[in-house]
Amino acid sequence: MIRLLRYLSNKQSFLIFVFLELIAFILTIKTHDYAQLKLHNFQIEFAGAVNNTIHTVEKHFYLKSYNKKLLKQNAKLLEQLQHKIPDITTLPASIPDQYTYIPAFVISNQCSLQHNTLLINKGEIDGIQPDSGVLSTNGIIGVVQKTSKHYAKVISILNKNLKINVALKHSNYSGFLQWSGKDPNSFEVIDLPVNAPIEIGDTIITGGMSGIFSKGIPIGRITGYQLVHGQKSYEIHIKSFTDMTSLGPVYIIKNRFKSEIDSLKYNR
Amino acid sequence: MSFRIKYILILLVFLILQIIWFNHIRLFNHFTPIVFIYPFLILPLSKSESLNLFAAFVTGLIIDLVSNTGGIFAATAVFITYMRKIYFMASKNPVQKIQEINIGKINSLQKIIYFGVFISLAHIMIFFLDAFNAGLVISKLQSILINTIISLIFIIFFDLIFFNPAKK
Repeated sequence: MIRLLRYLSNKQSFLIFVFLELIAFILTIKTHDYAQLKLHNFQIEFAGAVNNTIHTVEKHFYLKSYNKKLLKQNAKLLEQLQHKIPDITTLPASIPDQYTYIPAFVISNQCSLQHNTLLINKGEIDGIQPDSGVLSTNGIIGVVQKTSKHYAKVISILNKNLKINVALKHSNYSGFLQWSGKDPNSFEVIDLPVNAPIEIGDTIITGGMSGIFSKGIPIGRITGYQLVHGQKSYEIHIKSFTDMTSLGPVYIIKNRFKSEIDSLKYNR
Repeated sequence: MSFRIKYILILLVFLILQIIWFNHIRLFNHFTPIVFIYPFLILPLSKSESLNLFAAFVTGLIIDLVSNTGGIFAATAVFITYMRKIYFMASKNPVQKIQEINIGKINSLQKIIYFGVFISLAHIMIFFLDAFNAGLVISKLQSILINTIISLIFIIFFDLIFFNPAKK
């Protein structure tokens, strides 16, 4: 301890130099929008690079399960093609060419917090933009929040700040999906009108009104419901189809007309 | 007049000059001389280094507050003040006792080189912190060089006033 103090007292001016430079840098970055953006991009790039390295090693252990998932999805798609079922449940296409899908991999996934995020290994150079939806092979998993050159940060559906427009599959009554903050597979649908016909076991799908997700992507099954807000709306409990604790290959869904829709929505 | 009082006066004069005059100069439309670092360049290395660093930080911060530049000038002033010791330690004939170096006693050519190095460092740092892009700093080397020459001319002029060889 005495040695350490002696060493530090010898390096006193260097420590003061570092300390003062740090303060000056923080002040500079705080007042500099571009610097903040650069710092933020650096953070995403750094976290992405670290997690990508871990993921490169890790993915070899999960290849079997990823393959299984993809084979299952392929089988489902083939079945739908053969029977020409109009209602494609895995990757719906509401208007031809309106939505395009970019494949990616989840390289970092949080589940233990109240405001969870995840990182995917695709970024600006792959055409990823903020506010794009992210799907797994089983359903939705989040919305792109920020992008760097090679990576993107996604707000997970396990984030209490995220609300997604959803609907009842058989009746089209819509509400908002939000995470309860407890079990990673349990969600709530709020603001569903009281006249909506609800049955336990019914499927909840995306409503498609936000323009982030196309309509009809399955989310989960109803496990229970109750009347709230003075019996004016339903609160539904659902169990999601996606296991948020085990994510691998995902798709980023891009809506070609999103900016057009948003400009009509928000510009009066 | 004791050195300390003289030095504080020089510091205040250069701070005010930088804020009210030099910061508003746009020579050939976009060159702004940086002269506020002069007091830190002429400080003898024997004086308390920590105190010098704090003085540099506060001076830079005042300019930053006035110019709304965050901490760009503070970072530059602290950097310049600290790097002086390293400059002399790394110079061709390193002096055994760094505390013995007195800027007022080094010859004219050495002094011009010394001022030139630190003024260019200051301009590079200010430009880098302002643009936050190292690539842009390299592409703007010409503009940094011209800025350095202009600042150097002003600083040599001030140095002749404060360290007039005829007075020695």
